[in-house]
Amino acid sequence: MPLSSVALPCYVKDKADDSLAQNFGPCSLDIFVAILALPDAGFCVPFWYGNQKMDLQSFLTALEELSEQASKDFESAQDAESLEAARVQYTGARSGKLKELQKAMGALPKEAKRDGGMSFNAAKNRIQQAFEDASGRLSSGGGSASSGPGIDPTLPGSPQHIGRTHPITQTIEHLKAIMSRLGFSVVEGPEVEDTWHNFIALNIPEDHPARDPLDNFYLSVAGATVVDASAGEARLLRSQTSTVQIRVMENTKPPVRIISLGRVYRPDDPDPTHFPMFHQMEGLWIDKEVNMAQLKSVLRLFATSYLGSDVSIRFRPSFFPFTEPSVEADFWWNDSWVEFGGAGMVDPNVLESVGYDPEEYVGFAFGLGVERLCMGRHGVEDIRFLFRNDLRFLRQF
Amino acid sequence: MLVSWEWLSDYVKIEETPDAMALKFAMSGLNHEGTVEFGTDFVIDLEVTSNRGDCLGHIGVAREAAVLLETPLQVPEAQPVENSSPASDSIAVENKFVDGCPEYTARIIRGVKVGPSPEWLVRRLKAVDIESVSNVVDITNYVMMECGQPLHAFDLAKIRGNKIIVRPASEEEEFLAINHKAYELDTQMVVIADAEGAVALGGVMGGADSEISETTTDLLIEAARFTPLAIRRAARKLKLQSPASYRFERMPDPAGLDWASRRCCELILELCGGELEQGMVSDGPVAIEPKPITFRIAQIKRVLGIEIPTETAKRILSDLGCQVAGDESELQVVPPSWRTDVTRECDLIEEVARMYGYEQIPEDVAVPIGVAPPRPKDIALDRARLALSAFGIDEAMTPSVVSEAFENLGSFWNTNEPLTVDTQLLRGAKSLRRGLVASLLDARHFNQTQGNRNAELFEVAAIFLPGQEGELPKEQSTLGIVSAGDLQRVKGIVESIVSEVAGNIELNWEAAPHALFDDETGQELSVNGKVLGYIGIVSNAAQSHFSLDNQAAGAELSVDVLTELLQPVRRATQVSAFPAIERDLNFVVDEQVRWSNLSNLCREKAGENLDDIEYCETYRDAKKDGKGKKRILMTLVFRSMERTLTGDEVEQAVQAVVAACENELQAKLLS
Repeated sequence: MPLSSVALPCYVKDKADDSLAQNFGPCSLDIFVAILALPDAGFCVPFWYGNQKMDLQSFLTALEELSEQASKDFESAQDAESLEAARVQYTGARSGKLKELQKAMGALPKEAKRDGGMSFNAAKNRIQQAFEDASGRLSSGGGSASSGPGIDPTLPGSPQHIGRTHPITQTIEHLKAIMSRLGFSVVEGPEVEDTWHNFIALNIPEDHPARDPLDNFYLSVAGATVVDASAGEARLLRSQTSTVQIRVMENTKPPVRIISLGRVYRPDDPDPTHFPMFHQMEGLWIDKEVNMAQLKSVLRLFATSYLGSDVSIRFRPSFFPFTEPSVEADFWWNDSWVEFGGAGMVDPNVLESVGYDPEEYVGFAFGLGVERLCMGRHGVEDIRFLFRNDLRFLRQF
Repeated sequence: MLVSWEWLSDYVKIEETPDAMALKFAMSGLNHEGTVEFGTDFVIDLEVTSNRGDCLGHIGVAREAAVLLETPLQVPEAQPVENSSPASDSIAVENKFVDGCPEYTARIIRGVKVGPSPEWLVRRLKAVDIESVSNVVDITNYVMMECGQPLHAFDLAKIRGNKIIVRPASEEEEFLAINHKAYELDTQMVVIADAEGAVALGGVMGGADSEISETTTDLLIEAARFTPLAIRRAARKLKLQSPASYRFERMPDPAGLDWASRRCCELILELCGGELEQGMVSDGPVAIEPKPITFRIAQIKRVLGIEIPTETAKRILSDLGCQVAGDESELQVVPPSWRTDVTRECDLIEEVARMYGYEQIPEDVAVPIGVAPPRPKDIALDRARLALSAFGIDEAMTPSVVSEAFENLGSFWNTNEPLTVDTQLLRGAKSLRRGLVASLLDARHFNQTQGNRNAELFEVAAIFLPGQEGELPKEQSTLGIVSAGDLQRVKGIVESIVSEVAGNIELNWEAAPHALFDDETGQELSVNGKVLGYIGIVSNAAQSHFSLDNQAAGAELSVDVLTELLQPVRRATQVSAFPAIERDLNFVVDEQVRWSNLSNLCREKAGENLDDIEYCETYRDAKKDGKGKKRILMTLVFRSMERTLTGDEVEQAVQAVVAACENELQAKLLS
């Protein structure tokens, strides 16, 4: 039961809002209805309404009746919910019946106030004790065998909802954990980039298809056409996280051992395997002695850790502007080769563009799509499910 | 690239099975997409990366096979017989657009008989998915699929003025293509024209007026080089992608123009008859000779981590067509003209590595250890996510680019116009968002349509806050939350997150009206003078904008500021071994007295034994207390570290508090 329901009648009055139901979450609403349904719940006009004086005896009688009725109701409560409803009815902080009686004490003659107060405290304690007894009875498995119906052991427990982190977040955290064990620090960078970091420094020349305005989200500039957009000082939503590696290298002396993670953007029409926004993880290691055998070994350690058993890595030659040699890496899993992602030795042009001497420093880089790993691991068949945010989907992970 | 096994075998003797060979191709750079049987032939589909234009013809693929199998490659000589009449008497070529077409060549054949192709030619083209048109056209396609150089045959009779002019298209120039559709050109496109007008869109498509027909007898055979970018732009803009434009975009062998032209003429003479006029007519600079590259053998070990014998490296490079000289430790390598992608030492290392085999590289060498402690941001977000998860709130992920309507609801952080992108991300979404609540309300609405009522969601993402024009926007990592419409709940959630991350720090809440929020519910949270975030109940306008059935609350926190507040390690404080004494106080105060006034005063006056002040509730009863008054109920908790407190000293402290509240805040204590 949410705590908010306890203070609920107070909130209603506080807000003085006509549209009561709008103010409640679904759970609170149940209680609200429950209170309304009680035959003489606190919403009816109290007997001391107005400024009439009342005598001590009527007050004591009312106290006695209230304490007996409360004890009876607490005892007969069959579950935590009805007990709570009864508690709110009698001892609710704002409009509980006990509270109303406390207010009524003001109407007692001055000389009766002391006795009234003492009796009130005694009754309050009795009611509190009765509540605690009932509460203890319910929480210890409910009643003795002789005093009530038996427990149905097949009844479900009350649902406890734990919020789930998004499956992509879970995958990213998993990747970060593995890579940091391998000594790679996590870095992030801007998602809106300039052409220098997204293309030029990565050895992607102006005539490269990757810079085509139709393949990128260039930022609109007043007066510029889409065709101009790919040139010069244009800005775009980054199409890869390698941009971050450039930014790190520009500001850091080697050695550099990092992974960059985050959202990237490419204009693809959404379908089961494409979405115009997705996530990449890219690794970079620059030092005086880093080679392709180490690249292969790091990828094997990564895959072994990710999959939980020893796997083998295979390189197939490929082409990326920012690595030379470039390879596609596969890992051997469940008797077949599974694509891991692209990798290679950082192209000397890239090292030069960030002011590193390629004769002194060498390094490798690799990148992979987070969605593909996540989908493979969890059996998600359509990438669009990941961004639809349907709770029924999200709560599976 | 579709490769016919039978065709491939014209140039190289392959003992392997097609499957075994396909695997070898895949492991050396031509990814194997699949193999199908085609009659007695096999057709292998190979993926050719964009740097390997040389493998967009059977000879290029055959050369790869020859290197892999260490067998010779046989390429036809292509020596067609010429007659004595100079081609230059039949045609003149003028190149006015060297930037778009570096080299243009023409050969003339007269007296051909256009007709159907022989069966072998039809079959070979069919195998690689090209339909037969006529013998002349088929031969141009055949040579293209043989060496990767696209060719075009014009009906010479249709070339007006005996002249070919290569020029940029004029603005909005109309062109009727060979597919009999009209296209509007622009000035960056290359036009092949005769004395009167365009006869072809260079490198992309021939023209309808000059196409080969059954009555054609005289041919102009075009072999040209075009600038890849110009071709890609034109093909893409006009949606005229073809095998020819695909190849021009990937740069066929610049020195192979003449061979392709001769080979085409040789086959035409053989299959269509006719006579080839003497010489080739051309305009444009001849391709630049490849430059020699110094290859230090020691670099192989440095980059690959393994040694490869110098002899092996030399053999691979010369089989690939390089001229190789030099000694054990250093080679001078001149790459072949068709490998325009090989210009540097690292390119040579890759050539050697892929042919030597990447499987030779071990996967179990020692990797130096390193440490990578978690970033403060990661620690902060871990704790925030843990708290949100405990509150039952699920994490969403929504697109960073949203519709203008979302952005019109406004941002808490920035009043500049949102940045926009030229291309929409999803339908109607072009604005880089400056906040997360709108996206989360949209997700809440989507859940409502799915029957998931009252979805409570959070998201962590960058938002884009535009600054000065020309600058990159400030990207603020932000935590957004939408929850049920209960202000104190969302406030409690935010406060818990902050205390999870930062421990017990002083939070300053102030009213901060915002268009997204209901009047008076909007609040700004700051810590040490820095704005940490905003909360409020979503306004009716925003609620109806998203068609939400239920009221919602929203919050945004700057993860950047939250991270600055991170208390990475919690420190222990001693807890008292003695019991606490609690006192409830119920004050009637003026409406304008804030909880902070009351609680600060209590803290100040209650003495050193005050352990805690708990807020219970606020209640208004105009009848009893008068208008403009409210009751605030609270509990003071007293406890000492050293001893059990007596009722008297607690009573004294309470009296001091009550007196101060009465004097300074005109508070009236209810008994």
